[in-house]
Amino acid sequence: MSDPRTEAYARLIVDCIQPEPGWNVLVRSQPLGRPLVQAVTRELARRGVRALVRLRFEAAGGVFVREAPLELLKELPPIDRHEIETADSYIAIVAPENTREGADVPAERSGLAMGALREVQRPFLSDEKPWTGCYWPTEAVAQDAGMTLPEFEEFLFGAVLVDWDALARDMERIAERFDRAETVRLVGADTDLTFSLAGRAGKVDALGANVPGGEVFYSPVEDSAEGIISFSEYPACYLGHEVPGVRFRFEGGRIVDASAAGDEEFLLGTLDTDEGARRLGEFGIGCNPGIQRHTRNTLFDEKIEGTVHLAIGTGFPQLGSTNRSAIHWDIVKDLRSGGRIELDGETVQENGAWRL
Amino acid sequence: MAAVDPRVEQYARLLVERSLTVQPGWQVMVIATPLARPLVEEVVRQIARIGAWPLVRLSWVHGEQVAFDSLWAAEAPEELIGTIAPIEAQARRELDAWMMIQAAENTRAAALLPPARRVALRKAYAEFDERRMQPGFPWVGCLYPTQASAQDAGMTLAEFEDFLYGACLLDWDAERDRMLRYAERFDAAETVRIVGAGTDLTLSIAGRSGVVDDAHLNMPGGEFFYSPLEDSAEGVVEFSEFPASYQGNVCEGVRLRFQRGEVVDASASANEEFLLAALETDEGARRLGELGIGCNPGIQRHTRNTLFDEKIDGTVHLAIGAGLGFVGGLNRSAIHWDMVKELRNGGRIELDSVVVQENGRWLL
Repeated sequence: MSDPRTEAYARLIVDCIQPEPGWNVLVRSQPLGRPLVQAVTRELARRGVRALVRLRFEAAGGVFVREAPLELLKELPPIDRHEIETADSYIAIVAPENTREGADVPAERSGLAMGALREVQRPFLSDEKPWTGCYWPTEAVAQDAGMTLPEFEEFLFGAVLVDWDALARDMERIAERFDRAETVRLVGADTDLTFSLAGRAGKVDALGANVPGGEVFYSPVEDSAEGIISFSEYPACYLGHEVPGVRFRFEGGRIVDASAAGDEEFLLGTLDTDEGARRLGEFGIGCNPGIQRHTRNTLFDEKIEGTVHLAIGTGFPQLGSTNRSAIHWDIVKDLRSGGRIELDGETVQENGAWRL
Repeated sequence: MAAVDPRVEQYARLLVERSLTVQPGWQVMVIATPLARPLVEEVVRQIARIGAWPLVRLSWVHGEQVAFDSLWAAEAPEELIGTIAPIEAQARRELDAWMMIQAAENTRAAALLPPARRVALRKAYAEFDERRMQPGFPWVGCLYPTQASAQDAGMTLAEFEDFLYGACLLDWDAERDRMLRYAERFDAAETVRIVGAGTDLTLSIAGRSGVVDDAHLNMPGGEFFYSPLEDSAEGVVEFSEFPASYQGNVCEGVRLRFQRGEVVDASASANEEFLLAALETDEGARRLGELGIGCNPGIQRHTRNTLFDEKIDGTVHLAIGAGLGFVGGLNRSAIHWDMVKELRNGGRIELDSVVVQENGRWLL
């Protein structure tokens, strides 16, 4: 028996790419994604769209990446290349059996395999062709979120099955107010940080390349951040690491002092990646009312209503950013417990509640 | 995690090295269901080690070669189903070898697609079917043991695994030599007469030569086969010993009467409706596309799976529908339905009136 929420989820996902009849859409997933893959396949069929389903046992890694001669890994087989080049769109449904899969692949091999895909995927990543990525609830993802599978299902459907038109209108109102402002000040526990958005416009993520959406985001002026921010509520998660109690001090837009309550070595090492790693690439405001708790999964955490997130590293050129880096690490700050956001001296959010 | 059955590794080696003869740089399409994971991963490993690319296409439900599309084809507009996606067409023009691993979770699932849509889907892939049937194109159909296929065979999974590997892990060079000896005798003959329970059928293979399947096109191999002259079949054949199943539909007691190569009278004791509908598929559905002779010593019992049943030592099979171009078959049809006739129970095969097999035992 199919869960009606799965059907609604599938319609939502297909809406994200807005396919036209006759399109060829790649649907990438894993065997555990079956209910959603099938619902998406049917939804595409009903709209007269070709569904080309590509299932893999492991989304990252797999036997071929571990065993193939290196020179073979460097390039895609011509059939796969043609497939990605000519597909009109793709939908990625993440449904891992184990979120650490691929961890045993030597970096050289995974680097080659990713490199082979990079150029051919560029039209998607630069938004010339529509794509979307989403999760299907599996035990592995629930486990990482510290939940049982039924709990995680409730959480996921709560986050994706919201009234997106109404939420988009709310977020546009928020973005208008931020677009008009020059200076943002974030105040909270051990936190007092200002930075500038002068001349920068924001982007509303309602539904598009990520499901769920539910954030408004900017790239701050690169040399503007001043003050302290303490991410004391949640660990900062990146590349399989969880760093608790991250604290940054900024001067002239640059992190001049950084510490953490654990795994500080990873934090400091990451900040030394390149020059851009010490500057802000993103300021985002979480607005998804269906997401109230932290799950160690950035796709969801950065949209927790009543939080903001800052990303160190590369910014969004389409939002005016000039910062470049090999990293982009989103770190979430809870403002629901005594925090506030000020725009040019006026408080617009307090304890996570808007006062617009 | 349980260790992988060592027989899986040998099985994969046969498929990759013997059946497909995979060469460096090849693009090898591997179609399977997720249940076949141990075999798929072993096949991928061996293809990778050769320096070739595996193109794995997994789906939960598939017909003969149409990965996943059955779910899509149940709901897509009909005009879209009848044409292949350009991406799939390009892939099938370029691929160097093709492997189809059956690993059903439910052997009846494919029957859900309405026949008209199934035919449309098959037509969409007809160009590749033709390419695959060219002499020398490397392809293989095989099976990975699942509970569903064991259940259909009336066995436990462990029993079915023993059965499968007993049929597949043979000395194929020795099997080839033995079958070649029989096939030479058939090649030299004009008229084949099959006599058995309720059965007396003659057909001509004059000018046609046979192909011995020594584990190249099918795993297991263990048959040699012909496309009979399209207008030659005369008489009656009764498949009374085994059910005839096609894409999840099972017919019992199928009886066909031929005149000048065409089925002029057909009946079945169960599911006759499906039989008659299949015969109406198109003009070619009423003529024979294949005569095969089962020779696999590892296969002694019927398992409701054509891949094995058509190789039961001491049986023959007749397929209605599409002929095999690479052995001179001219008949064209969207179907190819193999039905197996038991000859170990008093049956015999005559070639130009000489008895060459009796009660399933060769007199050659």
